[in-house]
Formats: sequence, C-alpha cells, structure tokens
Amino acid sequence: MSEMGNRGRRNFVRGAAAALIGGTVLAAARSRSPKLVWQIDPEKCTRCGRCATHCVLAPSAVKCFHSYSICGYCDLCGGYLRPDAKGRNTGAENQLCPTAAITRTYIEAPYYQYKIDEDLCIGCGICVEGCDVFGNGSMYLQVKHDLCVNCNQCAISNACPSDAFKRVPASDGYLLKSDQEKRISS
Amino acid sequence: MGGRVKQRTAGLMVAVPVIICCGALSLVLIFNWLANDSTPTLARSIPGMDGGPPQSERDQSGDLNVNLAGTLETFDGIPSDLPGSWPRFRGADFDNISKQNVELADQWPADGPEVLWSVELGEGHAAPAVLNGCVYLFDYDETKRADALRCFSLKNGKEIWRRSYALPAKRNHGLSRTIPAVTEEYIITIGPRCHVSCVETKTGNFRWGIDLQKEYGTTEPLWFTGQCPLIDGGRVILAPGAPDALLMAADLKTGEIIWKVPSSKGWKMSHSSVLPLTLHGEEMYVYAAVGGMVGVSKEGNLLWEIPWNASVIAPSPVPVSGNRIFITAGYGSGSLMVEIEKDASGYAAKEIAKHGPKDWLACEQQTPIVYDGLLYGIMPKDGGALKQQFVCFNPDSGELVWSSGKTHRFGLGPFILADDKFFVLDDDGTLTMLAFSKTGYQQLAQHRILDGHDAWGPIALVGTRMLLRDSTRMVCIEVGEKE
Repeated sequence: MSEMGNRGRRNFVRGAAAALIGGTVLAAARSRSPKLVWQIDPEKCTRCGRCATHCVLAPSAVKCFHSYSICGYCDLCGGYLRPDAKGRNTGAENQLCPTAAITRTYIEAPYYQYKIDEDLCIGCGICVEGCDVFGNGSMYLQVKHDLCVNCNQCAISNACPSDAFKRVPASDGYLLKSDQEKRISS
Repeated sequence: MGGRVKQRTAGLMVAVPVIICCGALSLVLIFNWLANDSTPTLARSIPGMDGGPPQSERDQSGDLNVNLAGTLETFDGIPSDLPGSWPRFRGADFDNISKQNVELADQWPADGPEVLWSVELGEGHAAPAVLNGCVYLFDYDETKRADALRCFSLKNGKEIWRRSYALPAKRNHGLSRTIPAVTEEYIITIGPRCHVSCVETKTGNFRWGIDLQKEYGTTEPLWFTGQCPLIDGGRVILAPGAPDALLMAADLKTGEIIWKVPSSKGWKMSHSSVLPLTLHGEEMYVYAAVGGMVGVSKEGNLLWEIPWNASVIAPSPVPVSGNRIFITAGYGSGSLMVEIEKDASGYAAKEIAKHGPKDWLACEQQTPIVYDGLLYGIMPKDGGALKQQFVCFNPDSGELVWSSGKTHRFGLGPFILADDKFFVLDDDGTLTMLAFSKTGYQQLAQHRILDGHDAWGPIALVGTRMLLRDSTRMVCIEVGEKE
C-alpha cells in the first residue's frame, strides 16, 4: 500500500516537473519569437469595404493613411471629391467620404492639403479607391495598432478577398507606402 | 349588484387619474423630445470650409502680363541633314502611325536599343515635333521660370536656339505638356497657361502671340494646358474654350483672327486637341471640350454638337469608319461613340454607344489608334481587370478582341505604330515592342530606356530615330535594323 502511495507521489512529482520544464521552455521560446500583429498590404488591398464591416471593433481598427510625399495636393482630388461632384469645394454633397473624415485645407493656388480625421474614419476605403483610380494612390488602409485588439484570427482577414491581411512583427507593424514615411516612422 | 357598481366606481377612480397622469407624462416627454436639438454635435459641411477662394475665382488665372516676345538665345548646335519628319501631335496624318518606308529592328540587343543622345528638360510631359533635322520641344525652364521653345539637332541633341518668355507657374503634376505644330516657315506653341506663340521655324524669331486667358477669357484647365495647336494650310486652329470662342481660326502669318465659334453652352477648354476630319465629303474640325463635342466647318460654322459629361478629357477624338467618331476620357468617364448624320436640314450627331471604363475601350491620357478597322489603346486605372493593359477592341461590336494580360500593364503610357509594330512606353520608361496583330499580344522586345518616372509624353519617330521622354529627360534612341 505504501509502495503504491510512493509510486503515485513519484508520478505526481514527475508530471509536475515535466509541466514546469515544458512551460519554461515554451515561455522562453515565446519570449524569443517576435510579437506579431495584423497588417494590410497596400499593394494587395482592393478597397472592397470589408474592413469597415468585419472588424470586431466598431468602428473598425482599420483607418485610412495618407502619404503626403505621394499626394499631388490637387484641387480636383479623387480621394476627397465624388466623381460626379458639382463643385470642387467642401460641400457635403461633393464629398466622397461618408463620414466627412477627410478635411481639406487651402495652402496656396492651386494646392490643397488633405488630412484624415481618425476618429471619424471607419476604414471603408472609398477614398482609397478614388485616390487610386483618379489620383496618385497616396491614400491607403492600415490597421491602427493602438486600436486593434490583435485577435488570434483577425475577422477581417477571414473576409478579405485579396489576401491582403498578414502578420508582421510588432516592431515594424506598418506597411507604409513611401520611403519617406518609413524613415519618419523608424 | 350594488357591490359590482361600487367595485367599478372604485376601479374608475384609480384608472382615470393613472391614465391622465400617463397622458400628461407622455405629452411632456414628446414635447421635450421635439424641443431638444438631437444633433448638437453634428457639424454642417458647406462650401468654403477649406479656407480657399471660391471656385469661380480659382478658375480665373488673372492677368499675368506676359511678354510673349521674350528673348532668343542661340547655341552651338546645328540642324542635321537627317531625313524624315514628325511635324505635330500624332504625326502628319493625326493618327499616330508612322508611314515612312523604313524597316525597324524586330529585336534589340541585350543592353537595349542604342541611346544616341539625351537632354535634361524641365519637369513635364511636353513631347517633340521634328522637321528638317531639328527637334522642337516646348519646355518649361524651372530655373528662369519661363516657357521655352527649344530647338535641338536631331543628330546629336545639341541645342540650336531657345525662345523663352517669363511665366510664373508652379509644378502641378509637371509643367509643360504640349507638342508644337511645325511647318517650313512657322512654329505654333501653346504654353501651360494658355499662351499661344508663333515663331519662325529656322530662326526662332517671334512673330505673334495670343494670351487666351487675358484676351478671350479661357479657363485654364486643371494641371495646365494639354491642347496641342493645329496648323491647317495658312491658318492656326485653336480651341480657347472661351465664352466667345469655343473654337477659332487665326492667320498663320499674322495671328489675325479669321473666325470664332462661340461657346453657347458654356463648354470649356479640355486637354484634348482639335482633329481635322472629312465627313460626308466636308472638311471640318472636331473638338471635345469639357461639356461636349463639336464639329465646325472650315469657314467657322458650327455644324453639329453633342453633350458629353466628362470632367477631364485628355485624349483627342478618333475617326472611325462610317462617319463615326470615338472619344474617350479617364476619371470615370469612359467612352462615347457618335455617328454624324447629314440630311437636307444639316448635320446631327447621334449617340451610338456610351459606356463606362469597365465596359469598353477607355483611355485616360493617350489617344487610341485606329488601324485596319480595330481600336488600340491602354485602359485607365478604373478599367477593372483590364486596367493599364494594352487592348484591342472592335469598334463595331464593342467587343474586346485581345488584351496584353495581367502580367503586361503599361500605366498611362504613350504608344505609336510603325513598321507593323507597336512601341509602348510605360510610366517608368520601359519601352515594349509588339508585333502588330489583330489576334493577340505578341511581345517582340522590352527594355528600360529611361530612369525617371511619369513617362507620359507622346513618342515621336523620324527615320529610325525614336524620341522618348520621362518627366525630366528626353532621349533619342536607334530602333532601326543594324547594318
């Protein structure tokens, strides 16, 4: 009886030791591998609109980014104005963005600066489509890591039709379009 | 019986005050709901919130007081004796097809066609015209801030003379973007801010000039003027797109205005150029303005017009068999095919087909080529799966005949047809040679010629010398068969 009891204790100690060692190894391995976050490859994104509707957050953690070094600062901006806009001005009826998240500011003739209001942006990509088709492609979508909860399996990536979502190291968590922005962010 | 009445009375005594109280409370709530502004945090988006001037003021470029005579500088270049010419936008016949009897190489060496010479230019998309061994290019001198008509030797690229006038202009997707029209005697240019000049071809001496904005009220197009001037006999045909002069003719020697056709519908200047055309046996000028397309007789009478709602038009009209004209534009506009009919009462333009950019041939910047009954062009960025592909369409059926495929895209690139070969330049300066084919894409050779970007200036071909440019450099390459 006591021999059986000793065997049980030994098995328990062995199991506990194995769990401890395995856990330590796993923890060490995890601490060595870089933390990964979800991000959108701008070259693959087709502006389908699912980033706005499939994120577990509302509004989505996907926002429009604007590359100032690529932007043409045009009066006729394909990312800001509807294709059938009656005028090139800030009237709601002319704006492409459904939430008026893009502000337009006059610099000097004939240039205007466009900024994204992140609080209003829902990541629908409508402006990105307009900028890509009619402009220089300075607007593009990115996952904002201060908003994203980094789900194990991103709900948007499941719905993305162009396989544009991928895991990237958190230390280099944005796939920026221009070298200038990359230099600034680093 | 008496007990029931008492019970009912007691019930009513409780229910009536409750109903009255609930009704009063509901009225108070409804009143409050209606009285309160439920949208205190919403802001109205109205015109003028960007701090810029109204669009009407922006569209007026003001009085620039430009002295178009400017100055003439001469250099040590000399005209070459090389044969051939490319005297204007889209060549002598306005079709972008070189008809000279010269054999061009079917293949290029591994290091590409030989670059014969290269010159630095101001940022822009202006392309050259060539006559009598001289290359004429209407440049913008960014250092001196001046429009500059430059004459180079076709042989070695050395500059011969330069006629320039001071003009303030800020880069806006480049500065220069037109091609001069050159005859033996005169050269006509249109500058980025709508200044027309005439100078003598051999000497560069100034003859006359017109400021279309100042004199006619032309609205400067977005991203500057793209219209290339037309010389027809002894006349210059211009499209000011102004209230009193949608189209006008000026005497080539003197600049005196011969006729003007008013813009009765307020149509404005586009980047498109005037196309001379013969329909129903009558010579006419066809122009695609912002607002619609018109046909004007050689005597200056409006023959027909048809509205077309395209906000930016860069390609020029293209004649198609059967008295039809094809016009296309980018920025979501797509294409329009019209048939010009004539009866006893005169001309009429009838819409045959109108399609969006995903449904038919559309081009954002370059004018399509019609050859052997088919239309060739490069699809715009909003052309769906065909975007930026070189395509061939049947103008009769509207069907896609072939496309270059998703692995061969060419940006906004210019292209030309010569010796049964298409030469297509993509945005980053890679030149692709295709065999002319009515059945499919057949690439013969490809090589990156230019290092820059935005290689959008139309291609010129003279003999076996091809002139190409990107945003800041023009090169002359040899595309002939090596002996």
